[in-house]
Amino acid sequence: MNQVWRIAVKVAASVAVILAAASVTFFAQLAVPGDRATALMNLQTGQEKLWTAEELAPLNERFGFDDPILVQYLHYLTGLFQGDLGTSYTQKRPVADVIGGQLPPSLILTVAALAVAWLLALGMTLLTVKRGRFLSGLGSAWEALTASLPHYWVGVVLLVVFAVQLRMFPIIGGTSAWGSVLPVLTLAIPLAGFLGQVTRDEFVQVLRQPFVTTARSRGMSDLGVRLRHVLRHAVLPAITLSGWALGALVSGAVITENIFGRPGIGQVLVTAVNTRDLPTVSGIVLVVAAIYVVANLLVDLAYAVVDPRLAGAR
Amino acid sequence: MTRLRRRAALAGAALLAGGALAACGDNAGTAGGGTPTTGGTIIYGHVQEPPCIFGGWIQQAYISRQVLDGLVAMADDGGIKPWLATEWKASPDGTKYTFTLKDGVKFTDGTPVDAAAVAWNFDYWENHGGNSTAKVSIDPYYKAAKALDATHVEISLNKPYPPFLPLITQGYFGIQSPTAFKSRTEKENCEKPIGSGGFVVKEWKHGEEVVLTKNPAYASWPATAKHEGPAIVDEVRWKFVADGVSRYASLSTGESHVVYEVPTVNWKDAESKYQTIRYITPGKPVSFYINTKVGPFSDKLVRQAFAYGADRKSAVEAGFHGVIPYEGNPAVSQATPGYDAEVAKAYAYDPAKAGQLLDQAGWTARNAAGVRTKNGAPLTIKLVYGAGFIFTQEGSTVLQVLQEQWKQIGFEVKLIPATQAELWGGKYSDPSTFDATPSYWTSPSSAILWIVWRPSTPDNPNFSNRSFFNNETLSQTIQQANTEAEAAKANALYGQAQKIIQDDAAGIGLYTQNSTYAVARNLKDVWLEKSQGEPVFSDAYFTK
Repeated sequence: MNQVWRIAVKVAASVAVILAAASVTFFAQLAVPGDRATALMNLQTGQEKLWTAEELAPLNERFGFDDPILVQYLHYLTGLFQGDLGTSYTQKRPVADVIGGQLPPSLILTVAALAVAWLLALGMTLLTVKRGRFLSGLGSAWEALTASLPHYWVGVVLLVVFAVQLRMFPIIGGTSAWGSVLPVLTLAIPLAGFLGQVTRDEFVQVLRQPFVTTARSRGMSDLGVRLRHVLRHAVLPAITLSGWALGALVSGAVITENIFGRPGIGQVLVTAVNTRDLPTVSGIVLVVAAIYVVANLLVDLAYAVVDPRLAGAR
Repeated sequence: MTRLRRRAALAGAALLAGGALAACGDNAGTAGGGTPTTGGTIIYGHVQEPPCIFGGWIQQAYISRQVLDGLVAMADDGGIKPWLATEWKASPDGTKYTFTLKDGVKFTDGTPVDAAAVAWNFDYWENHGGNSTAKVSIDPYYKAAKALDATHVEISLNKPYPPFLPLITQGYFGIQSPTAFKSRTEKENCEKPIGSGGFVVKEWKHGEEVVLTKNPAYASWPATAKHEGPAIVDEVRWKFVADGVSRYASLSTGESHVVYEVPTVNWKDAESKYQTIRYITPGKPVSFYINTKVGPFSDKLVRQAFAYGADRKSAVEAGFHGVIPYEGNPAVSQATPGYDAEVAKAYAYDPAKAGQLLDQAGWTARNAAGVRTKNGAPLTIKLVYGAGFIFTQEGSTVLQVLQEQWKQIGFEVKLIPATQAELWGGKYSDPSTFDATPSYWTSPSSAILWIVWRPSTPDNPNFSNRSFFNNETLSQTIQQANTEAEAAKANALYGQAQKIIQDDAAGIGLYTQNSTYAVARNLKDVWLEKSQGEPVFSDAYFTK
């Protein structure tokens, strides 16, 4: 019973988060200076001017921009509960279609980047922490350097070296597996540096713990100690950060998608914000919020798996 | 970067002389470079993805030009040539145009391209919100369109308007199938408009590319085409590659055959490796609208001081690596018929003169920061510009250089980068929100002057007049020019109009708007449509 109750609370909280995200987006978009019908007219014509009331009337009428805000909000929420994200003002097709087409490439990109970042960070940590001054120093320096690299710079360097000079990968790769390598690395390298820094600090701490000495005294190999005992503790902060990292990756994805001519939700979001395409913006924010919620649930789960004490504590 | 472009036009002979279309010949030149082949896929790297295939935005005109045919086309010398219309005749008083349509042309949905279809399109643009840029181009003069019989359509005007023909060569005036338009959803029309053009939209992979396949029954190529018959290649993949570095790099790896908007820093390299095309689009160049209504610039002397006060020419040449030409004429660019080259010479860099004018205007004191003041108020200029779309990084650099120079003579120029959402949403529309703002509008005719500089009145507001410059003489002059049948006289009047704008410093020139392309050497006969500089792929072929 207790279990059911806890799940119900979690689900309710998740729904509340998503609803809040939808509402904030709705009102935030309305708060952007300027008029939606004007923005749409300017988008259609590539101009930047005002329009007469008669010119705007058809758009206002059609999208209900003249209705009281509350009516628009209720209308929007009602649609939401019916699973209707609305129709894009600019693309004239359902927002669900707009998002549906662009979400998978972005998800693949960000999830793959997260996975690769973890592999790189763990590899670096296991290989260099307390492996002598030179290796340790090299590891920390590498992490400090990569963690601070802007995505745009990483992307362009990878592009020039591996796509233009070495011709190993396509520049405009679309969503092909081979074409995804450079975009994934573009996102993964800075993140790996960041995760690595966090893990390294923790790793160093844990290596000094008494139980490590105990394990070693039992004759356990260095690698065994690192893998079976130390790592388990050292990755906890990085797991927590992964929920956050997923969000950071979405913003990085916009840049990466631009550089490699890759479809994705990031680019659509930027365009939609620029054109005041409220249904599309809200739809994307909702989906991203949902992903966040799920990611945080997964982080909770991962915690419990890595550190069983936490599972017992609940 | 978004391009607003509007109309352009007759690429006059002058323009050609100026090298507007410099198909920088690589030695392969015309036919000499290999054996022509048929079939294949052209991969084209474009910058920006529009929301729909057709519409009033230049980004839309670029693609719709491949899919929709126009009534008439513009030749390199600015002459008007047959397209869907084989011939046309204007009534003696210049208020009626009767077009004779090519016989037997069909839209790709099988319905005929007849007079009723053409009349429906005009009605849709003008009266049903179909295309506000098409509308604003012919608005004050257009009256009605009527099908006389299956192959004759009559367009009547309120007044004579010789720029009518050049204006309808723009991509906005592409003819669509009314049957398809009325029977399909908005989404279908948006994604796959039905025309009679050389290509049809096969698929739009949003965020990635539009796939165009050849229309095997194409029978209505324009007289300006380089060959007769359907497209030679099978397919065009119109890719959206926003980043300039990757777009240009994709040529070197063979992932694309044509790229648009070559970064100016790569231009020299492009000239040595590919065929390059640089086209100065006619119309309003990238020039500053100066707010003549509110703020320090309501004083003409201050506007003139601003124009004299910075070396715009050198800044443009440095910022764009000499690729994009400086344009001193704020009203129309050097590629526009009726351009007055004399007007462009005014306000050459003269800081001393700028200082005198400011003294004369009463901005004599200076504050601690060296900014001129008048009655204690600093000479602060709010310069709002579209960052990332009207102005790329290179353009922003030019503005920063100018800002430094203006500072020397006592202007404190605040550069205010505006996002597309802010600018398009109307944040900077009110005269109180800015003092100067740069933008452009491509158009094949000096009639653009009427669109941009027509006075704004309460009854008939003109929000395109971003200088808020209401000048009756200017208005009369442009209207006279617009209805003047004789080209030389019309151009003289357009020249006077440019002089009024320049003398009053209601606008300040900066640089021309350009279409630049790099084309792989084994792809021949890619050419640019003249009214706005769109690439045309239906004549192109690969060589082995």
